[in-house]
Amino acid sequence: MIDINNITLSYGDKPVLQDFALNFESNRLSCLLGGSGCGKTTILRLIAGIETPEKGTIVIDNKIVTKDGQILIPPHKRNIGFIFQDLALWPHFTVYKNIAFGLIERKEKNIKETVLKMLDFFGIQEQAEKYPHQLSGGQKQLVAISRSLVLKPKILLMDEPLANLDVKLKRKILEHIRNLKQSRTLGIDLTIIYVTHDHKEAFAIADKVVVMDEGKIEETGTVEQIKKSENRFVQYFLEY
Amino acid sequence: MGRKLTNHPLYTIVFLSFVLFVVIPVAYTLGTALFTDGSFGTNIQLLNLDTFSLLAKSCIIAFFIALLSTFFGTILGFMLYKTNIKFRNIFKILLLIPLFISPYILAVAWKDFFFIFFNDTNLISSYIGVILVLTTIFTPLSMIITGSALSNIDAQLEESGFMITSFRMVILKIMLPLIKPALITSFVLVFIFSISEFSVPAFFGVKLFTTEIFTQFSAFYNHSLAILQSGLLIVICILLLFTEKQNIADAPFLSIGSKGTDNKLYNTKNRNILSLLFMFGWLSISVVFPFIILFVQSFKNGASRFIQAFELLLPTFANSIGLAFSAALIIVFIGFIAAYYSAYQSGTKTIKSFDWLLLIVFAIPSTILGISLIKFYNQPGLDIIYSSYAIILIALAGKFSFISSKLIGNAIRQIPNSLDEAAQIEGISSFTRLRKILIPLILPALFAAFIISFIFSLGELGTTIMVYPPGTEIMPIKVFTIMANAPQSLTSSMTLIVFSVTLLIISGFYFLMKPLIKNYGFAND
Repeated sequence: MIDINNITLSYGDKPVLQDFALNFESNRLSCLLGGSGCGKTTILRLIAGIETPEKGTIVIDNKIVTKDGQILIPPHKRNIGFIFQDLALWPHFTVYKNIAFGLIERKEKNIKETVLKMLDFFGIQEQAEKYPHQLSGGQKQLVAISRSLVLKPKILLMDEPLANLDVKLKRKILEHIRNLKQSRTLGIDLTIIYVTHDHKEAFAIADKVVVMDEGKIEETGTVEQIKKSENRFVQYFLEY
Repeated sequence: MGRKLTNHPLYTIVFLSFVLFVVIPVAYTLGTALFTDGSFGTNIQLLNLDTFSLLAKSCIIAFFIALLSTFFGTILGFMLYKTNIKFRNIFKILLLIPLFISPYILAVAWKDFFFIFFNDTNLISSYIGVILVLTTIFTPLSMIITGSALSNIDAQLEESGFMITSFRMVILKIMLPLIKPALITSFVLVFIFSISEFSVPAFFGVKLFTTEIFTQFSAFYNHSLAILQSGLLIVICILLLFTEKQNIADAPFLSIGSKGTDNKLYNTKNRNILSLLFMFGWLSISVVFPFIILFVQSFKNGASRFIQAFELLLPTFANSIGLAFSAALIIVFIGFIAAYYSAYQSGTKTIKSFDWLLLIVFAIPSTILGISLIKFYNQPGLDIIYSSYAIILIALAGKFSFISSKLIGNAIRQIPNSLDEAAQIEGISSFTRLRKILIPLILPALFAAFIISFIFSLGELGTTIMVYPPGTEIMPIKVFTIMANAPQSLTSSMTLIVFSVTLLIISGFYFLMKPLIKNYGFAND
């Protein structure tokens, strides 16, 4: 579904990824796990098309979307949803407008019905007329997820979206995310790539885990395989 | 985001227009003065010891003004942005008034003060007078620069300081070093503004570099010398800006709103009365006394002088306000285009050079900018600009676009990239993103840039006095030309009227802006 082939990218003089390769299978929830600065967010941004690599190709659904420093298919034509670490909710729009904005611009039909259905699914219909600064942390997360899902993406990229939440709320939202993949209510069939530095979070939801360090893959596998890994970095990382 | 410049026709048009209408005239005039009107060697000999002695004197005066303004501005900034002193929000607005009125208004008021109480204006019509008046004018600028920086310090940095040392040491060793870029920016900007100021030394009859340039140009018609002297001033200002460019780039210069860092406010406790006294004292010196003095002087012999002044200025109101309004629109447009592309296309060389061009033109003293424009446009084929308000609009756009681009640029940089990227991923076109995401989010900054540009344009004298076409009716020009031969009470009356009109406009804008900022309160502290 998503193939990242021999990607090289630097920020200034600092190389972030070098000849990096990885693939993600469709309809699965894959977690990119690693410490700060290991390149996991960069991979999401490359897949989304908001970052351009110096070298290498990215293929989505057998189509080359990025090749050797050129964006061949722009972000909005990749059918991708992106939940940013800071959530990026537009502060001057209400919850309803935040979710509806993409639909309005795409001139979709039945916008109100679609948005209300989404709000209902996540239990935030009461918040529809509120502005982001009037919401709690958890409600903001749900609005960000709703905003991405309402456009029915095939791929959902999530960049540490739960980093600042308490454990109880984290569990609740993780439950939602787990249910998302098979959600018939929303009529979507999702491939999710979830970035986190918290192995407990990754183990709670992932079908596949990719452990990264300094722009390189240390280990990939199912949760069980990762737990039993003999890789020294993985063992060290899981200890803390 | 690294698209070619040719993909941005609007940016290209604005950039080329700025170069064509502002930069080329300045470069042409300076080049002509140095190399065409005689050889370079002959021209350079015009700069004698007196010139350099006067330049040194002007630099020393500007140094003291910059030092005092930064010192008092930091104290005021700390009290208003870092303490819970009573009436802080009202003080924040009232103390800015001197920045928005023409400097000569305060000069007239203080001269009146010395005339009324000492029957002698010699003390104020001196270097000390220039320092006093310009310090009260530029302190609010320092206040907002240092105040913004202080309120951007993360509270945790201060709190961790309290774990190991006293309040005083936290201020000295943690807070002041953290706002060093703002302190340097304040000093450099006030220095440049002061060394370029023309109206205050001219009104006091104090010989400084800007007044000397004006005399050489207007009285002796010695254009080569005037331009050579101008060149020296430009070199000093630009050298200063380039030396401190990193600090200036880092300082939260004139920022509207903040990233939402956790600003810690200190309780003034038993120092509350002392702090309030200081605030009221400063407000009295910079705003209340000058206003009262102008009022007393205007009406001491009845209302006849005031009526006469009003009749003289009445024809200028519509012109001045219309011109300032048009100039402010142009300035905000240029500032927005420069800031927008600078934020989103920062790697492009042309865009970096636009930033620098705005900065360099801003650093050119007003009188010199005026001379350059008038010399360039006073030739066949270009007299349509020379003989119309267009030359004033060009001068004002050249002078103030840097401030507007800085103000708008800071607002754009405070908006997380992810807000634009999220819309990009949803397939929102770049024009819609600009219209529905970026512009609404920076609306308070755009509005503030407009007001500041409007007020500055309304009161600008240094450049306007050089370029105004014959028969032009503009407030500051009218006051300045009449005051040379008018009785003191007429000058005071005219100044009082200009002061009141400016205050009225500021108040009007404030009430217009208040709901706007309230609506977008998420982006402002």
